[in-house]
Amino acid sequence: MAKRFVTTKVEIEGREETKTVELPSRNPAPWQDDAELHVVGQRVPRADALEKVTGQARYTADVQLPGMLHAALRRAPVARGRVTSLDLAPALAMPGVRGAIVMDDAPDVKLDGVRLFDRTIHYANQPLAAVCADSLEIATRAAQAIVLTVEAEAAVADAEQALAPDAPRVRSSGNLHRASPRIIARGDVDAGFRDAEVTIEREYRTPVALHTALEPHGAVADWSAGRVTVWESTQGIFNTRADLADAFGLPLTSVRVIKNYMGGGFGAKNGASFAAYTAVALSRKLGRPVRCIFDREGEQTDAGNRPATIQHVRIGAKRDGTLTAISVDATIALGIGGWLGGPGRIYHELYRCANVRSAETFVFTNTGAMASFRAPGHVEGAFGLECAMDALARELGMDPLELRRRNYVDRDQDKNRPYSAKHLDECYRAGAERFGWDATRRRRRDETSRIRRGVGMASLTWGGGGGPPAYATVRINPDGTIEVLTGAQDLGTGARTVMAQIAAEALGAKVEDVRTVLGDTERLPFASNSWGSITTASVGPAVRVAAEEARDSLFEAAAGMLGANADDLESRDSEIHVKQSDRCLRFDEVCEKLGDVMIIGQGSRGPNPERTALSAFGAQFAEVEVDVETGQVRVLRIVAAHDSGRIINPTLAESQLEGGIIQGVGYALYEARVLDRASALPLNPTMHDYKVPTLADVPEIDAFFVGIADVVANHTGAKGLAEPPIIGVAPAIANAVADAIGADVTEIPLTPWRVLASVQRER
Amino acid sequence: MRLIVNGAEHDIAAPDHEPLLATLRDRLALTGTKLVCGRGECGACTVLLDGTSVYACLTLTAACANREVTTIEGLGRDDALHPLQAAFIEHDALQCGFCTPGQILAAVALLRENPSPTEGEVVRGMSGNLCRCGAYPKIVRAVIAAAGAAADAPASLDADRSAHG
Repeated sequence: MAKRFVTTKVEIEGREETKTVELPSRNPAPWQDDAELHVVGQRVPRADALEKVTGQARYTADVQLPGMLHAALRRAPVARGRVTSLDLAPALAMPGVRGAIVMDDAPDVKLDGVRLFDRTIHYANQPLAAVCADSLEIATRAAQAIVLTVEAEAAVADAEQALAPDAPRVRSSGNLHRASPRIIARGDVDAGFRDAEVTIEREYRTPVALHTALEPHGAVADWSAGRVTVWESTQGIFNTRADLADAFGLPLTSVRVIKNYMGGGFGAKNGASFAAYTAVALSRKLGRPVRCIFDREGEQTDAGNRPATIQHVRIGAKRDGTLTAISVDATIALGIGGWLGGPGRIYHELYRCANVRSAETFVFTNTGAMASFRAPGHVEGAFGLECAMDALARELGMDPLELRRRNYVDRDQDKNRPYSAKHLDECYRAGAERFGWDATRRRRRDETSRIRRGVGMASLTWGGGGGPPAYATVRINPDGTIEVLTGAQDLGTGARTVMAQIAAEALGAKVEDVRTVLGDTERLPFASNSWGSITTASVGPAVRVAAEEARDSLFEAAAGMLGANADDLESRDSEIHVKQSDRCLRFDEVCEKLGDVMIIGQGSRGPNPERTALSAFGAQFAEVEVDVETGQVRVLRIVAAHDSGRIINPTLAESQLEGGIIQGVGYALYEARVLDRASALPLNPTMHDYKVPTLADVPEIDAFFVGIADVVANHTGAKGLAEPPIIGVAPAIANAVADAIGADVTEIPLTPWRVLASVQRER
Repeated sequence: MRLIVNGAEHDIAAPDHEPLLATLRDRLALTGTKLVCGRGECGACTVLLDGTSVYACLTLTAACANREVTTIEGLGRDDALHPLQAAFIEHDALQCGFCTPGQILAAVALLRENPSPTEGEVVRGMSGNLCRCGAYPKIVRAVIAAAGAAADAPASLDADRSAHG
């Protein structure tokens, strides 16, 4: 008998992990690229749109429970130092205040290396105490009534300060993460540079970007009879459950985590949040439900960020453009903690080159910890690599797209394995054609006018092949309607819709008859965090298997009713037909005859193909106008061609492409957390001063998929698409600006003064 | 004080400094109106006050006595959506949905002032409502389409308004 449990590799946010997987009950043949599908691939309306346009979608902060109390946090006024006294008495004396917690009342948990309510201050706005009251207004006033004295010490605001000889020690272990420098190399980079006929060398800088999800981090906790129910705005209900059970010493059966709707995550909500620990601790202490929601300043300073990088890049090439060596030395400012999401990896992936070396130095600073943010590492790395490729193209006098094509690679070179599928070449072709790349490049330049036009492009890659474990249950009700149950999350991505489409396809049902239920650890089988663009490719196959199992049971039940063999049945639009006959029964007719028999299918996600890289690809093109008198950049249009395998729902997928591109425009032109370098205090923790793109900042966007099913990756043929669209935007825009002004741009955001400085350097 | 929300009268005892947003969400359980920035920077709490768009976070409840407030809950019914709600679904003009109530109400106010806006007028009129998911291109399409639908059937917007206050 074949082994039931095996191991397989799964890539999550650029990290490859080994997972144990239980082989599914069946392994359906892939839906081939030319398969005739009826629901998958259709522009089905978003399943939860009605709730959202009518205000009935209930998000975490909308949960109101009888007797619920409201928590507010008192945060550190300095970036480094210690609490010398913290007097809760004035707060507790206020009418309507029900209790408070400080470090000693909270579980002994560290988030990003900082204990909950730590009395040692590691960054500005670090929470020091929480107050709970009958209303948020009272709680907020009470938190400010706490009498707090702190002793401030010199703080470290950025990587350069952290690495200075006499820098204050951010952590007792020092200012370098112990993994620094992380060096990954293949071939012989020194030999590669000796072989080079042309070498370019540049330093690129990227800012701290803030997720700025409209819904902040927050939770409602209801502790009752030794068990706790938690509503949390999270990308991972099962991760959150595990975190809370561990912190509060509860069995997993005593923690229920629910997430029905959430107002954006973008990577920052991957486990139990500070708000969740606080709400649970207060609910346990006070015996009443507690809501704890970060305010906007807390969200902008203490809820994750994309870390700033400095990337020193060298690329060597032959005169014909053949790359001989790529090297990057990067410094990444993590903040007080985080994980090793660095820019180095994409340098190894994107082009054929035998000699590649990345060295990443991860630095601690007295600022809020970094967190995954839509394609962490790759967004920062793509800016350095893709701008450097354009600098090389200029040096060689070569079309930047031609340079990329000449260095095309069809293997994962670090691990020496093939891709399951790669259609970046088709993205180049289709993108260049829709953009009119050759024609716009040939256009005559006006070097004298105030407004200069330029074009640029960038390529991108990202994992997103997904993998196990993931489970789904499909139930057919007595009226023929169908429920898909899986513990995944829909962050606004469309998972509810996509899973219903996959189930409807496999069952031969109308998609309107299928409802997807997500986001409840107590009621649903496991699915992993919705991160790394993995949900469709991870959970989709499990849903398909469950739906096929349910379909087979339904056919067996219907066979007798139709006087046919189950093998001779087929279904479409929720009707079962006997092949080559006009005998037919609707699902509801079959189910009604079955009475209370409930047809249930179980499905799970099988292992990934062995020794195969699973990746998404894309090519993005930008045209800009630059006012050389003011430095103002206007992005006129973006064309983006993406390869993410089969597209289950083109409308929702295009929405994600547009959204990722618009976030990329913000990263390129506007967004940066600003600190006072002397104090490490935040200067722009508001939505007015931290500049996310508005409607008026959006260029014309033509974003599309080449849409070829990847039947090696998994049997649905789909791969991830949420993160790829942000990756190439900033370098494509920067390359277009460089093209317009005839000068390098090496730092984002491309604010007018920064662009103007580049223009003036050139003059 | 008397507050009229979505056509229904309420007797509210709110302190003078209470913002309309807190009254709607906490006293009346109308949670479709969202708190995002709390200081008039994002537009997520946009509601209509006597038909004009206001930020509920910056509007004092005390200033709304005897005036008509319309929130997303009062705009349409599940089986009779406002044309803008229908257009937002049709054009997939939303992702996470957190900014959507504010976007729709801002668009209602815009179309009331300017029933057939150009694309540029929609962009200017709606750019105070932030959307981090980046549904902007589809929001523009939805608003233009809803305006077109209203132009084709001139009675529909007004009829809907009188039906739902």
